[in-house]
Order: sequence, then C-alpha cells, then structure tokens
Amino acid sequence: MRNSRNLNMDRVAVVASAQTELRPRWSGAQHVDLISAVVASVFKGTGLSIDDVDFVIDSGSDVLDGRSISNCGFLGAMGAHHKEESRVEEDGLWAALYGTTKIAAGGAQVGLIIAYSKPSESDVNLFYSSQCEPFYQRPVGFDHRAASGIQAQRYLAQHGRTPADLARITAKRWSDAARHGRVQIASLPGESDVLSSANVAAPLRALMMARPVDGAVAVLLASEEIARRTQRKPVWITGMGASTDRHSFAARKAGALEACEVAARSAYARAGWDKPGASIAEVSASSAVSELMVLESLGLAVPGRGMDLLNGSGNTAINLSGGALPADPIMATGLVRLSEAVRQLTCPDIYGLESPSSAIVHGAGGVGMQAHCVMTLEI
Amino acid sequence: MLPKPDTFPIDMAPLKSDLSMPYTLTPGRAAGAFLAELGQRRIVGSRFKKSGNVVVPAQDFCPLSGDSEFEFVEAPATGTLTTFTETAEGLIGLIRIDGSDVDFPHRLVDTSLDDLRIGMRVEAVWADGIDNSILAIAGFRSSPNAPVGMIRPLTDPAQAVEVIPYRLDLHYEHAFGPYYGRLFDEIKTQRRIMGVRTPDGEGALLPPREICDVTHRPTGTWVEVKQTGTVRAMSIINLEFVGQKQAPPYIYAEIMLDGALTRLIHTVSGFDMSRAKELVKPGTRVRAVWRETQTGSLDDISHFELIDADAK
Repeated sequence: MRNSRNLNMDRVAVVASAQTELRPRWSGAQHVDLISAVVASVFKGTGLSIDDVDFVIDSGSDVLDGRSISNCGFLGAMGAHHKEESRVEEDGLWAALYGTTKIAAGGAQVGLIIAYSKPSESDVNLFYSSQCEPFYQRPVGFDHRAASGIQAQRYLAQHGRTPADLARITAKRWSDAARHGRVQIASLPGESDVLSSANVAAPLRALMMARPVDGAVAVLLASEEIARRTQRKPVWITGMGASTDRHSFAARKAGALEACEVAARSAYARAGWDKPGASIAEVSASSAVSELMVLESLGLAVPGRGMDLLNGSGNTAINLSGGALPADPIMATGLVRLSEAVRQLTCPDIYGLESPSSAIVHGAGGVGMQAHCVMTLEI
Repeated sequence: MLPKPDTFPIDMAPLKSDLSMPYTLTPGRAAGAFLAELGQRRIVGSRFKKSGNVVVPAQDFCPLSGDSEFEFVEAPATGTLTTFTETAEGLIGLIRIDGSDVDFPHRLVDTSLDDLRIGMRVEAVWADGIDNSILAIAGFRSSPNAPVGMIRPLTDPAQAVEVIPYRLDLHYEHAFGPYYGRLFDEIKTQRRIMGVRTPDGEGALLPPREICDVTHRPTGTWVEVKQTGTVRAMSIINLEFVGQKQAPPYIYAEIMLDGALTRLIHTVSGFDMSRAKELVKPGTRVRAVWRETQTGSLDDISHFELIDADAK
C-alpha cells in the first residue's frame, strides 16, 4: 500500500494513553483486571476500537508474575485474541520502541502497547537477585540494593553531594506525584522523613529507593494517516535509542551510565536535535542518585550538577508526574513516563505548563540500571 | 481516572504460591576452574592473550575487551576495596585483587561500615567446609599491612567443576480479584461453580472474567453452571515430572460443564485405571465429586466421576 514511500519511514504518533492509579498494592485486582481496565479505556475519545488494532505488544516479567510466559494468560484482557501479539521482557518503553518500528516500517497502522506490574505479589529483592550471575554475584548477596548503594556512595563522594540533597529531590518527587493524583500516597514524606527512613543500601535510605507499585498502562500508537484522523492532537515520536551496558556491574564505568548516554545520543540524532532542549523530561530511576545520574546522562545537566535542575535551572520541566521514586511499577515504569509525557504535552494546563512542544522519555531495566531506552516526542 | 478494577471487593485472602525450580548450572571453563581451585584455597583468574588484561575471578570472556582467548593464572588473596555499601545482605564491597584489571563484588567481614575506607587493603578470609562455591571465601577483611601480591602462572590446575546443583525458590501472594474471588468464594462456601454470561448473554464463560476474550466487550451477569459435563479431550498421564500433584497413572481431561462455553481441566477417576482408555473418551459424561475439606480452590473438587454407572 505504501510502495511509493518505502524509502521514507512513516511518521508514528501516540494517539492515546490510559493508566490505572499506581498503588503499593492492588490487593483487590488481578493482573487481568488492571490490564482490561486500561485497554477498555485507551480507545475512548479516539474514534478507534480494538478492531482497528493491528498488533499488541506487552511488557511484564514472568518472574514477578509467578508464571511462565505469563502474557499467554493475559491475551484476552489485552484484546489480543487472534491478533499479532508479542512480548517484550523489558520495560514497556522497549515495547513502544518495537511497536513504533513496526508502524514506521509500514507493516502496520495501529498498535496497542501494554505494560503492567504487580510487584506486591512477589519479592522484589528476589526478582532482581534472579537477574544476577549465579556463580560469583548471587551467593555473596550482590543485588540491585548493593548496586544502588555503590552508585550512591560514588556519586556523593565524586560530586560533593550529601544525603540531604537526596532527601530534597525525593521529597519534591513525592509531592509532585501527590499533586497530580495518579499515585496512591498514604502520607507525604518530608525531607526529614526521607533522612530518617530505614537504611537500605548505605548511604541510601528506604525512601531514596524507587518505591515498587502495582499498576497498568496502555498506549495507542498509530501511523500518521490514522493519527491525523483522530480528534486529538497527535504526539509524534521523532527519535528513539536503546543501549545495554555490561552485565557485570563491577566492569561498568564507575560513576556513569554509559548506556543511557548512548541511548540518548541515538534518540537525539534521530530527532535531529543538536542538544536536549526539550520542554518536558519524564525519566525512570532506581534511586534518588540514579535519577540524578540519568538526568546528567541525558545531557540535561553536566555531571554532578543534576541537583541544580531542582532550583529551576534549565528550561525543561522534569518529572512533574513525580517520576519513579514515589511510583515504580517495575517493567511498566518507562511506559508510564511516556504516558505522562503525552498527557503533559496534550493537557499542559493541568501541569501549569505553557505550550510545551517536546519531551524526552526514559526507561531503564536491570540491576544498577544496566539497560536504557530513550524517546523524543514532539507536537 | 479509570473506573476502579476492584469496585467489588471480596475478602478472600491472597493465594500463597511457591515456585521452587531445580537447576543444574554449568559454570563453564573459567568459573568451573575458579570454583574447583577454591578447595585448594587458590584464587584463579584469566589472563587474556590479546589485551593482556587480567580478570579475577576467572571469566571466559574479558569484560573489558571481549577477548575469549585466555590462560589461567593464580591470583593473590590480597587486594584493595574500591567501593562499598551495606544492605540487609550485609557489608558488600567491590574488591580489586592485586594484579587484576577489574573489580568483583564480595562480602566484607570482621569490620563495620564506619571502619571501611575506599582504597583500604583487604585480604580473603577462607571459610571452613565450603567447596565449589565463591562462599569458600567467607569475605574480605581489613589488612592494612598486606603486601601487594603477584599474579603467577597456575600450576597443576584442579579438574574444573562441571555442574552446580541449584534451586531457585520464589514466593508469591496472588490477588484473586473480583471475578476469581467470587468464583472461589462460591466454591468454598456454597459448592457452586459460577461463570459469567457472554456479552450476548449466551452460555457461560468459566473462569468468570470482566471482558470477553474474543470480542473484548464487557461480559454479562453471573450464572451457575452445572456440576455435570462432557469430556472433550483427555490424556492418560504416565510420565513422572517435577511438581506433579499425584502419582501416575491418572487422567487429565478437558471437561465442558453443562451450561458453560469453555472447558475446565480436571482429573477423571474412580475406576480401574487399566480400563481408562475404554471408559474415558471424548463424549464421556462426568460429574464433580467434592472433598470434605472446603479451601476455596479447584482442589475442593476431588475429581470427576463417570456418570454412567454401568461403565464402572
């Protein structure tokens, strides 16, 4: 159908997104209940229906879900009955990357991207431990906590930052999450609460780690032709990049997230950006320190100066959703960032933004954030 | 916000479930040699031919250069602490063994967080009675005056460990949600099997669900399905396997309960298994037999029995 254009990639837009509230424990709902809620909702207002969907790509973790090939049990809830369906065992932002590629290549016009998480049903420490190498790392107790603690020790020492800085960014993220109402928060922690929370991975306190939460998110992608027919203002995906660092945490470059830098460079180059001057950034994090490292690796601040962004330096509104510190639906966190960035671009008044035009979206996975995915959005 | 998926709360406690997966891990050439030599209290590394990098503990591929050609070396039991943290697992640091070009994580022992310093000299503490595991080194302790050790050729290497028995135990608490919650609550308290009608109101879907799998439209009202049904497919299980719930031989059958549009998998028994092929086949009529116990699971149905008494 697009033979005359097969040397030019089709433009791909996000035409809608839907997410459940992110809660520490959705104790009254199964995975399928959360998934079907977002899939039923995502079409509303688009004029599209499940019949228009050419393919479904989903992200989740068999280990977290407690069953093999868990997507097979969720196909009905996902609307994937007798459709092309694929599973990405990485954060949902990779599923969106995969779906965008399919549409850009001309193979499909409408794609449904789903990510979900119920870490409350499992043991997050065992989930991460299961990703560690079983001969040298797992027996000595090396896991995501140790990796995060080591990142934090190095970052604070190298850049002269203090736990008080980490408390400041953490409290800010929680209060932003509370303000925009998509994260269940029983009581809002202040900076002193952060500093007095339990030791988890010295120098990190419990509240300085991303809080695992349950939830689901669905994103509808479409080709330009379809996107232009929907009533909403399409949000174009203009750049994408992904990169994975060495599996051995000890062999990665100390004090840096090189894979994040590579993913960002790739996305910006594809978008034709010479610098990361986006209106909005929605980024993932495993801890307050790794959030700062991600912001710096994305080029939003020079190394060690990520905290300056909290003082309003730069023109990019960062993690107005609160980001991953108050709400980390593991395997869905990056796709939630995409959903949040789209919401901010299309409903800027809710967030007090003035005509934002572009966004950087970041997802990550693995122990110590081994893998990174970056997208640029423009309207 | 979305309509809440837990609009109809139920008070079923979450389903506790454990997965215990047995493995026989293959450490391969480098880790196999490293683990074998721990029994001799020797620490083995790899020296890669092209780059000259020394990697301790030994690896098949150089994490820095990707080289795969290497020779084994014997590394000293001393090194430097390059960074550290404390978690619920204890004090964990990255250690750089003298002469190695990379760090590796291990425990720090006989010390406390406050006494640790980046760059401090450490030495391995050997554990008694542990072989073929990196925990043959209990951890590393402070050793301020430890001389800097040397990398040496490995002489008389022990036979590499080929297989490590391993088990991964994972623990879950699965929420039932509103649909499975009512299904199992009714099974437990009423001994009724409840489905939901399709969006068109024709027949019942079992297990009950909010959304019809085929049309993705909301399902209809609740309906009880009969406890009698028809075998649609079956298999006589003779094989033994890990995680099996009962001793073979036994029959697993797909049973379409009267009133349901979907098939339920359960066992069919109550007769001499030597006649299984003759008595149970697609089309055989069966009836649920309940146990005395009421736990709120499909296991409350002991099995399905043959309805045709003559067949027994």
